[in-house]
Amino acid sequence: MNPAQSTQGTVKERAGVALNNDFLRNAVKFTTERLRSGKQAASAEHGNWEEWRERGRQIRLHTIAHLDYYLNLFVDNARKNGVHVHFAPDTAAATDIVMTIARNKQAESVVKSKSMVSEELHINRALELAGIETIESDLGEYIIQLAGEGPSHIVIPAIHKNRYQIAELLSEDAGEELPPDTTILAGYVRRKLREKFLGADIGMTGCNFAIAETGSMVLFENEGNARMVTTLPKTQITLMGMERIIPSWEDLEVMATLLPRSATGQRLTMYMSGITGPKRTADGDGPEEMHIIIVDNGRSEQLGDSEFQELLNCIRCGACLNVCPVYRHIGGHSYGGTYSGPIGAVLTPALNRNVAEWDDIANASSLCGACSEACPVKIPLHDMLVYLRRRKVERGHGNRWEALGMKGFAVLMANSKRLNLALKMGRIAQKPVVHNKGITLKIGPLKGWNTYRVTSPIADHSFRENWQELSEDTRRTARPMNAETWDRMEQILRQRRASGIQGGHHE
Amino acid sequence: MSNSQSTPDWLNKLEEQSRISQQAFIDNISTRLRRPRMTEAPDHPYRGTPAFWSEFEWDSQQRIDKFTTHFQEVGGHVVRLQTMEQAAGFIADHAVQMNARYLIRQQQLELAELRLEERLPDVQISSWNSDPDEAWKARAAEADIGVVMADGAAAYTGTVMVTSAPHQGRSVSLLPTVCIVILPVDRLYTRLGELLIPMDEIGRENLPAGMHFISGPSRSSDIENDLTIGVHGPGIIYTLLVG
Repeated sequence: MNPAQSTQGTVKERAGVALNNDFLRNAVKFTTERLRSGKQAASAEHGNWEEWRERGRQIRLHTIAHLDYYLNLFVDNARKNGVHVHFAPDTAAATDIVMTIARNKQAESVVKSKSMVSEELHINRALELAGIETIESDLGEYIIQLAGEGPSHIVIPAIHKNRYQIAELLSEDAGEELPPDTTILAGYVRRKLREKFLGADIGMTGCNFAIAETGSMVLFENEGNARMVTTLPKTQITLMGMERIIPSWEDLEVMATLLPRSATGQRLTMYMSGITGPKRTADGDGPEEMHIIIVDNGRSEQLGDSEFQELLNCIRCGACLNVCPVYRHIGGHSYGGTYSGPIGAVLTPALNRNVAEWDDIANASSLCGACSEACPVKIPLHDMLVYLRRRKVERGHGNRWEALGMKGFAVLMANSKRLNLALKMGRIAQKPVVHNKGITLKIGPLKGWNTYRVTSPIADHSFRENWQELSEDTRRTARPMNAETWDRMEQILRQRRASGIQGGHHE
Repeated sequence: MSNSQSTPDWLNKLEEQSRISQQAFIDNISTRLRRPRMTEAPDHPYRGTPAFWSEFEWDSQQRIDKFTTHFQEVGGHVVRLQTMEQAAGFIADHAVQMNARYLIRQQQLELAELRLEERLPDVQISSWNSDPDEAWKARAAEADIGVVMADGAAAYTGTVMVTSAPHQGRSVSLLPTVCIVILPVDRLYTRLGELLIPMDEIGRENLPAGMHFISGPSRSSDIENDLTIGVHGPGIIYTLLVG
């Protein structure tokens, strides 16, 4: 991750670009709504959804709480299966290992299936720099690779592009005009990538789950490209976040129940593959050599942190993006990191260990809690966003003006005479800027608010000053309460006094 | 499994590095978790699915009905047949109808007994990995039809399972345009877990290198959410439910 490059501008500025792009907003809304309703239908059809979520959460909590044991077990078993396992504490180490393998294999081309970890590491750039052709084979990833962009959704990376933009990109790639027809465009990619799969020296994958007890890795996908990548090239490299572990195949049934339903509303993805080591000697296909690179890159920092450890429970389904009202308006690229949406808003600062630089993405949330409710492993995402904001202030990265304002407010409100005096002065001071009963001035602290709204001036008489008159008015005009109601209320009051419950008192 | 004699220097070096980093990497996790390194298997009270789920089971007819519905709902085809003879007939008819020129099948006894070679004299039929000098991936890639036996299936998710072995290529169910899976009815279970739990039981040493759970045709919704079939894998997939 290169924060300097990804954080150009603030979330607000990046969202400004997104909000001006009508297509993006509509496309993101349309797709996320479909995914969201698909998820609701699939979880309702399955039934007992809360019990499944709770079970998923418990399995993830248990594994992460004993990660040293399970990860070590996985490594030992994977080695026994003939896998070369490597450890990468950070981006540089991971890149170094990939490049060492590629160099020694004299690789000319690498085909990749979807891997968010590889996006995190910007591995494509490193490979391309070494003159190694690197091809994303997931349809959406292939499209954004041609466009030179990053994914804007965990599950649907090219969510922000329409078919005309895609036809243009693919036409350029094909060297001939392709019509904006989904079937034709996908057909072109199928033909083009077939050759690449068959010719590639290295296949690179991510890892959805790693089974500790057998040293196997599991991939979920719909297109079949991950199967290609793990079947055809002679060398397979798998990039795996250190927290992808689950203990057993038995536990996989729970994950296989939660992940596809939460991600796309499917009962199961079209393909789920369990890969246990390289091909057996007599097998006719599958990789001859298999590498698994276990990546930390900031993940271990969450361990032992009571507020953020549960982040490691994430199974990368994208359900929190689809329900997030903010994501649906600003799209994935506005978040500025590899991961977007509510999970990205928490994960990016956590993985980058620099809360200060990424602080503003914690504000890209309305704290409505829809993300936490959608999460299949019940990660309290909206609480984490609050923790993040708090840490930012505690570490002195808060807004100076906001802090000053709060202090001033406290001083003012502590004494009623002071408040009255301030209001009186305000009434006089505002006179030159009030027009048509409103303040439209767009300078200083008023700029943000007044760009789209009008600030009301301080009233000539405050509610408090009017109270005497108001209360007499009410007494004079109100109809007398009917006797029966009066009695009933008196009785309730007596009961309340007798039981010792105190009502609210304002005097 | 790896042969240390043929392992090149660079790989030995990486391996050495890996063993050194492993210690620090795992120790860092224990330190962060604020306890000594855990070396004994912890008690895992939440292993697997909730209890009510493991008791859930459909009868044979329900399994067939549900599997059929679920597989078809996502664009797959299911054909109910009584005998392997009928399965052979179906495959032959289909190959002719679709003008298939190349067909590849797993090198399995059940499939050899279909005698497709006799039924389809005009189709070039190959049996996976039957000749060590053949470029088998290319044979699978050119094939119009791939024929495989299912090792198991789960009705609840509409999923068939195929596994790799010397005579069972992963490519056969992946590269051809059309994939035909023969599923004997007695291999059809209710839950996915009935296929997964045996993996724990048979243990690491006995697992095949590739286990693939297939629930329909290859698909993508990456372009404007418009569903496309056959993006990389087979766009047409048949399950022949036999028995």
